Amino acid sequence: MNTNADAIVIGAGIIGATTALALTNAGMKVLVIDRGNIASGTTSAGEGNILVSDKAPGPELDLALRSRDAWFEIQEDIGGGFELEAKGGLVVARSESGVVGLRALTSVQRQAGIDAQDVSEADLRALEPHLSHSITDGALYPQDSQCQPMLAAAEILRAVRMRGGEFIAGANVTAINTSNGAVTGVVTSEGTFNAPIIVNATGTWAGQIAELAGSSLPIAPRRGFILVSVPTRKIIFHKVYDAEYVANVSSGEADLQSSAVVEGTQSGTILIGASRERVGFKDGIDFEILRVLARQAIALFPILADIQLLRAYRGFRPYAPDHLPVIGEDPLFKGFWHNAGHEGAGIGLAPASAQLIVDGILGRTSFMDATPFSPTRFTRGEVS
Amino acid sequence: MEHKHQVIVVGGGPAGLNAAKYAANAGCEVALLDSATRLGGQYWRNTGNEIEDQATHHDFDQGSLLMDAVTANPRITHYPNTTIWSAAILDDEITLRTQDDVFSTTRLILATGAYDRSLPFPGWDIPGVMTAGAAQSLLKGEGVIAGKRIVVAGSGPFLLPVASGITSHGGKVVGVIEAAGRFAWLPEILTLLQNPTKISEGLGYLLTLRKAKVAMRFKQAVVAAHAGADGLLDSITVANIDAEFRIKSTYSLQCDVAAIGWGFTPDTSLAGALGLKEEVAADGSVVVVVDDNQCATSPQPEVQVFAAGEITGIGGSGLSLAEGAIAGLSAAASRTNLRQLKKLRRRAHRFALTLQRVYSIPAGWQSWLTPETIICRCEEVNYEAIQDVSEKFGADDARSAKLMTRCGMGMCQGRICSRNVADLLNSPDSDRIKGVYRPIIAPITLGELAQDGLL
Amino acid sequence: MITFTFNGLELTARTGQSVAAALLSHNERITRLTRISGKPRGIFCGIGVCFDCLIIIDGKPNQRSCITEVKEGMVVVTQDGA
Ligand SMILES: Cc1cc2nc3c(=O)[nH]c(=O)nc-3n(C[C@H](O)[C@H](O)[C@H](O)COP(=O)(O)OP(=O)(O)OC[C@H]3O[C@@H](n4cnc5c(N)ncnc54)[C@H](O)[C@@H]3O)c2cc1C
Ligand SMILES: Cc1cc2nc3c(=O)[nH]c(=O)nc-3n(C[C@H](O)[C@H](O)[C@H](O)COP(=O)(O)OP(=O)(O)OC[C@H]3O[C@@H](n4cnc5c(N)ncnc54)[C@H](O)[C@@H]3O)c2cc1C
Ligand code: FES
Repeated sequence: MNTNADAIVIGAGIIGATTALALTNAGMKVLVIDRGNIASGTTSAGEGNILVSDKAPGPELDLALRSRDAWFEIQEDIGGGFELEAKGGLVVARSESGVVGLRALTSVQRQAGIDAQDVSEADLRALEPHLSHSITDGALYPQDSQCQPMLAAAEILRAVRMRGGEFIAGANVTAINTSNGAVTGVVTSEGTFNAPIIVNATGTWAGQIAELAGSSLPIAPRRGFILVSVPTRKIIFHKVYDAEYVANVSSGEADLQSSAVVEGTQSGTILIGASRERVGFKDGIDFEILRVLARQAIALFPILADIQLLRAYRGFRPYAPDHLPVIGEDPLFKGFWHNAGHEGAGIGLAPASAQLIVDGILGRTSFMDATPFSPTRFTRGEVS
Repeated sequence: MEHKHQVIVVGGGPAGLNAAKYAANAGCEVALLDSATRLGGQYWRNTGNEIEDQATHHDFDQGSLLMDAVTANPRITHYPNTTIWSAAILDDEITLRTQDDVFSTTRLILATGAYDRSLPFPGWDIPGVMTAGAAQSLLKGEGVIAGKRIVVAGSGPFLLPVASGITSHGGKVVGVIEAAGRFAWLPEILTLLQNPTKISEGLGYLLTLRKAKVAMRFKQAVVAAHAGADGLLDSITVANIDAEFRIKSTYSLQCDVAAIGWGFTPDTSLAGALGLKEEVAADGSVVVVVDDNQCATSPQPEVQVFAAGEITGIGGSGLSLAEGAIAGLSAAASRTNLRQLKKLRRRAHRFALTLQRVYSIPAGWQSWLTPETIICRCEEVNYEAIQDVSEKFGADDARSAKLMTRCGMGMCQGRICSRNVADLLNSPDSDRIKGVYRPIIAPITLGELAQDGLL
Repeated sequence: MITFTFNGLELTARTGQSVAAALLSHNERITRLTRISGKPRGIFCGIGVCFDCLIIIDGKPNQRSCITEVKEGMVVVTQDGA
């Protein structure tokens, strides 16, 4: 095993994997380290939605738009194998105010470059024949896509390994070595590894890694549950959700928020996700939440009432107080880069986030200004 | 609807029946929940027709006495057709959910039993290949003989009642194929002789088989199955195997049913969902950890959970009965007859461990697999796909195999394949335990889940 | 005696029998075709654990035929895929 590399990426989730690929493609020798195995954190809990529809104009949307295309570029680059599909999102409104809000959203989204099409009642039925008859308005987002996140992380890391990188599983990072205000390497349960660049891609646990170096990051968990049905014939064709979902995504409330996103997968199961609540790393299944999700899904698609639930699982989204990801160099230590805190959109935002990191490390101009995502925003006191 | 009970027993097999009886006799008010229509579990599975049941069972008298005692006891309420799909411990209460009801208690006894252990081999998904337990439950519970030419195969003492049951009901068993040697039990003769009733039961089966001229073959195994033009089982490949179960030579045998059992796997789904401590037993199966009083380690000390029968380790009906009695007494905080029961349990436990040693299953079965052999029956994942995960991605753990191939993600939630996958990947105990975690224990429709009043 | 239909054919069963057992006693061994490769499957574990004996009963798919009691007039159909 090689103990020296050009860059070390801590975390083999989707963020770590895409970052490692971008660094490798830029000519660096990369070492990826995870305390578990591929995608043993939040990535395996993600639904794999690559969404532009749930974002209002702003820096996150710019990141999302670039990232959506970058996903298809990665597919080109490494040859796919992770069920990437431009399935299209269908956002529906159930109340009078919901309709007004949705129309207002699509109009600003269109100005920001999203392909957002207002859909008439007749067209809604054509797009989703089993949609509840009480729903009369919606918007179609053809750019919305999806992938299988675990497979994506695995295929990307495989490409990294084939291109000279290394992946070490089962190595818990316990210390970050620094010298003269710059990082020099990491100490793990499997030995010490040295590199002048260390990328912290540990998602929900990124605050702990920052602390190991003597820095800090205000990243906390936001729990989410997903219901998985038994395999069925294809009855749902897009990812379909209630316009209320957009409000939940950006909510700062600690209480449970939920509006079901319903979609069919290539394996035949139907996914119903996802709740959002801030309860720390709370374990166990919460039946109240499962019931709320089931109800909301049935409200969208009454046909689901007869379909059996097979599994339910939970994950912990990594979120920062202002709900923006943290992408950039640590304010205290040179060579220490953070790429974390992508909350409920880490799968979608991963490739473009990785691009920002590599461009930052190489001092290149990137496709957008990364200042809104900078880790210095917390120390500057802009965000509390 | 909500039901509160002083003691709740889940499982109406030997362990659960005895647990309910002993707890009730010690003064407790008991609810006995079971998914089946009729009491009895796997051992005393019955059709409800007394005369017929008498004939298919070895000791139905003991069973019907116990079932009658339970049914007649005014302190016991039996809830038939009651399947628990989820369970949780919240603060100081345990809640169990069924399709229409919620049951709650502070004292729970789990006796959810076991199902056949199956080993994969080419063609094991062809209709006609089934578990030994399936053939047995068809006979005992349904009064149906599984086929016209039946092979009973695998390993362990359970093959004998299955084959002799079919034979004495006029079915044709064309061979009993046992992987262990004819005298594999000889080194353990002393322990075995301490259990004379078991020995005489076994001899009785052998006598029936001999009278019917059923061939007993040892050190052999069914290593492939072949379908006819109709897609149904037509023949099997039988191999002479060495002590490691590797193939030495083969021959073919015509049959329409191959009933194959490799011992049993505990069904600890409910225990796992409750967060009870589990461990990997000597025979490789995941079991619920219990103390001397059958008390399990609950994550919430305010509630008491006991476990009895096959879920604490495979041991047969005798051990299940003893454990059930002790669990029932412990739940009632009674000590009446406890010493004798523990002695009984010790003997039955020793006997069980001996059988596990005699009929152990070495890893050589893995050499029967071809790249195309199905490992996960639900998601149709083959051996090659599972090997690919470690080769392609450098991830050789069970979780990666599951998430990348979907093996174990289908409708049985890994009940059939997870143990075999763990063996194929040489998984550590912690992965084996995680592999049997399934918070949704039985399927429920989203409509049922969404109903009011369920929570 | 109970009568039910299987793929349109009228069959008889004993009261209390499971759908799988009733089918087997008429030598009907295939309950479903698999979702991915379309292969036939039938009863395997016999006690509701393996989900191989799935079948469509009165229009509802994914019913375990080995633990579902036959009822008078039941309409049973081979499950093709999901
Ligand atoms: C229910 C749910 C649904 C979601 N749905 C979507 C969706 O549809 N679309 C979308 O874009 N996003 C979705 N998300 C969000 C998405 O899953 C996350 O944003 C994303 O997975 C974060 O990826 P990551 O690589 O940063 O973190 P992770 O995947 O958590 O990876 C971090 C890794 O760091 C490792 N690690 C941590 N500490 C250490 C240490 N000390 N030493 C070594 N390794 C360490 C961990 O083992 C882990 O593998 C969802 C999240 C949830 C919970
Ligand atoms: C198919 C089969 C046939 C067998 N036949 C014989 C035989 O003929 N002779 C013999 O000596 N041994 C036989 N055995 C071995 C058997 O395991 C033991 O003899 C004995 O029955 C074990 O007793 P138990 O009480 O631990 O569990 P079981 O008898 O298995 O009883 C467990 C009970 O729990 C119920 N249950 C499980 N989960 C739930 C849930 N979530 N909700 C509600 N109820 C639930 C089940 O329906 C079952 O009735 C057989 C095993 C199997 C699997
Ligand atoms: S045969 Fe296994 S569930 Fe019916």
